[in-house]
Amino acid sequence: MDLQTHIPKALREVAELANCQLIGPLTNDTVLLESGLDSLGFAMLVAQLDEDLGMDPFSSMQIAVYPRTLGEFIRIYQQAAEQG
Amino acid sequence: MTFLQQLQAQQSEQLALDGPNQWRFGELSQRAQQLRQAHPELAQQALAIRYQSLADFLCALLAFDGVCTALYLLPEQDIDITLPEQVVLWPEQVKTGPTQTTAVPITAAAPATRWFLATSGTTGTPKWIPHSFASLCRGVKSQPSQPLRWGLCYQPFRFAGLQVLLQSVLSGACLVDVTEGDALQRLQQLKHYQVNALSATPSLWRQLLMTNQLAELPLQQVTLGGEIADQPLLTALQQHFPSARLLHIYASTEAGVGFAVSDGQAGFPASWLTQSRSGVQLRINAAQHLCIKPATPPLLSQHLVVDTEGFIDTGDVVQLQSGRVLFLGRANGAINVGGQKVHPEQVEQVLMQHEAVLQARVYGKASSVLGQLVVADVVTKPGSDHKKLQSQLMQLCLTQLQRYQIPTRYHWVAELANNSSGKLSRKESNV
Repeated sequence: MDLQTHIPKALREVAELANCQLIGPLTNDTVLLESGLDSLGFAMLVAQLDEDLGMDPFSSMQIAVYPRTLGEFIRIYQQAAEQG
Repeated sequence: MTFLQQLQAQQSEQLALDGPNQWRFGELSQRAQQLRQAHPELAQQALAIRYQSLADFLCALLAFDGVCTALYLLPEQDIDITLPEQVVLWPEQVKTGPTQTTAVPITAAAPATRWFLATSGTTGTPKWIPHSFASLCRGVKSQPSQPLRWGLCYQPFRFAGLQVLLQSVLSGACLVDVTEGDALQRLQQLKHYQVNALSATPSLWRQLLMTNQLAELPLQQVTLGGEIADQPLLTALQQHFPSARLLHIYASTEAGVGFAVSDGQAGFPASWLTQSRSGVQLRINAAQHLCIKPATPPLLSQHLVVDTEGFIDTGDVVQLQSGRVLFLGRANGAINVGGQKVHPEQVEQVLMQHEAVLQARVYGKASSVLGQLVVADVVTKPGSDHKKLQSQLMQLCLTQLQRYQIPTRYHWVAELANNSSGKLSRKESNV
């Protein structure tokens, strides 16, 4: 699956479900905490991706990295997919 | 010693509260004495203190501990909790007038004030839990050589927030109120006031890490509480602050006791089940609940379940794994979303108001971001349009529930299991 396409799409869907208003267009430079998605929305996104992709890199990572931007978030999933 | 007597041991010129309004220890003490002097009618009364600001709240606590028989710590917003009769509401029911500035001697015959904190009960109905000042201070660490600058992330009328308040004030540290704002705003305040000691929920720590600016704080003390601390987060915090003291706190609000784990590992060592530590004994009962026997018996309340040997059932389910005791969650099914408690029954009652919903069961699903998320299994009338229903249920929930209480995911199921007593089974999910 093309994560670069899938993750922003999932983010938009979750934002709608979570009643969050996204601020501006989504790019790899979008800062997650300033995207309009709140912490509940972000948790829902990680849960949705776990269902879609069968992985949650945040529950299993040995060296915990917390992403600042959407690009960093996507990279964590890409790396987890390569390793898994 | 009363709270005020203990505060007076601090250097009066030292800053106690920092922020837009600064308070020195001497000023707090003076203000507390003025309040006491102005309200002799409150002696031997039960007082409910409504939270308005950190300084006002702290001054009222200092003024009336050792003067009133009971202090009820009321949240700022109206919650559905009943106060006993004859409790005076502060500040609403107290006459305000000119205060005198002469110091009032603290009498030796001061009453041992009971402090009452509100906690959400098993069904979501809040209840009052009594504590003695001494038991609330048991976890306070003595003065470090260099006074710390604490950030207050929790509301101070809750158990965790009061612990930070007492720790800061009684160790001569300076406290900064960062209870308001999102993670980025809070981080700016923490940086601005050079906070170097912080206690927060694991969920807030994760958000602070996501700012990528947390490492700019000169943290010497990193404390996690209010939720189960997981290993990835503990590891990340250790890596960011290798020289800081890293603690994760387990506290049972109802028992008024807890303990701290300082080895950076999730859970606590299984060896603690056989050794008493600081007089606190731990054991696991047949239902896999953690039971605690505190060093001194807690103030008894009707809500506390104590066995014949003095052990209190905390209602927390634990598991032994590789020499560690790990926390799994609450036995009563209460869900912890980022430190906020959600009672499944309350959410189910809202869902059941929709005419298409025949049965609903709400439970928690593990989340690596917020600890747990609220999920619902729902049985609907035949022929229901689930997509449309989901959005209608969201609208219904928005009118009656807090955001963190609203189900994040629905599973449309044909039936829900009942247990032998005919009640909805909370043990396992249908999914």
